[in-house]
Amino acid sequence: MHLMQFRKKLEEGSFVVLAEMEPPKGVDTTVMTGHAVKVKGKVDAFLVPEMSNAVMRMSALGGAMVLQSKGMETIVQVCCRDRNRIALQADLLAAYACGITSVMAVTGQEPSYGDHHQARSVYDIDLLELLTAVSTLRNGRDMAGVELLGAPDFLMGASVNAGAPGISPEVEADDMKKKIDAGARFFITPPLFSVETIAPVLKRIDRSAVHIIPTVLLLKSLGMARYMARNVAHIHVPDALAERLETAPDRVRECVKIAKETISTFRAEGFSGVLLSTMGWEHKIAEVLEGV
Amino acid sequence: MIVAEKKPMEEIIEEVKRFENILVLGCNECVTVCEAGGKKEVGVLASALRMFFLKQGRKMRIDERTLERQCDPEYLEEIRDVADGYDAVVSLACGVGVQFTAEHYPNLPVYPGVDTCFMGVTEARGMWTERCQGCGRCILASTGGICPVARCAKRLFNGPCGGSSDGKCEIGKDTVCAWQLIIDRLRALGRMEEYERIAPIKDWSTDRAGGPRKIVREDLAP
Repeated sequence: MHLMQFRKKLEEGSFVVLAEMEPPKGVDTTVMTGHAVKVKGKVDAFLVPEMSNAVMRMSALGGAMVLQSKGMETIVQVCCRDRNRIALQADLLAAYACGITSVMAVTGQEPSYGDHHQARSVYDIDLLELLTAVSTLRNGRDMAGVELLGAPDFLMGASVNAGAPGISPEVEADDMKKKIDAGARFFITPPLFSVETIAPVLKRIDRSAVHIIPTVLLLKSLGMARYMARNVAHIHVPDALAERLETAPDRVRECVKIAKETISTFRAEGFSGVLLSTMGWEHKIAEVLEGV
Repeated sequence: MIVAEKKPMEEIIEEVKRFENILVLGCNECVTVCEAGGKKEVGVLASALRMFFLKQGRKMRIDERTLERQCDPEYLEEIRDVADGYDAVVSLACGVGVQFTAEHYPNLPVYPGVDTCFMGVTEARGMWTERCQGCGRCILASTGGICPVARCAKRLFNGPCGGSSDGKCEIGKDTVCAWQLIIDRLRALGRMEEYERIAPIKDWSTDRAGGPRKIVREDLAP
């Protein structure tokens, strides 16, 4: 059965709520499905990352199929790092045949970031070529031009680096335009804590042509906020947030409150939706989403 | 050596047709040996370009020069005094030389005149074949001096695949199976016990998997 709530809501202009759901490192999926089932109905779709940070775990396709089999919609990530064009296309066909109707294309981080740093990365095709490949499949042919027996009608998205330091908004907007031309219909941003970070890029693109979905990251501690502010170049954590956490009587509750407020802000600012990323605190998804 | 092949003339013309003053810059090293970008090829290309543009009624200045190397700063400095006089350079060096020339002359467009192919040998007159992929961790000691990374189509480390037939690779009858060569050589050397050993899983971090590579020798640094 093809689940299409995500696409339907985007098309209607309703605010979509996505949650990130990492597959396990191992074959026991009970924890993952347990977290997902708890918020079934509150989340429109689960975004299943493809071995983020180059850490080996169950593939996105595998994790997504487990969730789909329990009636939960997923957006599966497809990544240029580990598969060549033959494997990518094959997995895309498998994904659609298993009821997955939305994909998000990502470049993938270098293996040196992860836990298999001796691995050889693939990068047979890059992100833009992958988007083009998905569009080609949608049109009923593979990258070699051979006709398919049934074409996958994917809704396709991509990552966007909007707001990263050192990249001009002009370059970023141009990059988004190229991805839109290649068939991307939604963009998921890196974690954003304020609209200001992405505003210079948004001014330069046609918002009606594409859906922008910011990632809302649930901070877990003051230390995490400070660490990210100092060490994660592409994520801007405002000083005010760290100060707020420092003085909060219950920091965990404050972290949840910040995530709730961030979601509300993005909704009020007219974004198409949000992706909630809880990085191991999936048991908090329900609490964050309550009442927002 | 680094083996390169001449680019088609049409491709070079397409890149340089908008300019008036062009320097065709050769390299005396590898590309001279593989007859793709040495002094002789610089002369042939420059003449061909002159004739082409002359036929079109274009007045263009196309000069020739060949440096000892384009991968060393000292030789690239030799064109410092004349570089300003050109609108573009067509470098017949390998990709390394093209890039290093561009790095040294940031305001001068540099175009490649050859396609850089591989690190290899002159197997016969007019035939060059690949031998090394520069993976950064040489295993030739255990493979009888024949590299499965560069010469096996699948980069296998523990013997031939099922596609090896009559000593040839499954990709074509013209391609020798690297593992057939390795086994033949180990047998001739009386070292077949080395073939029995399972090779450790390859660490590709010294290959391109670890990103662009760099060697720093502090004992040599000024």
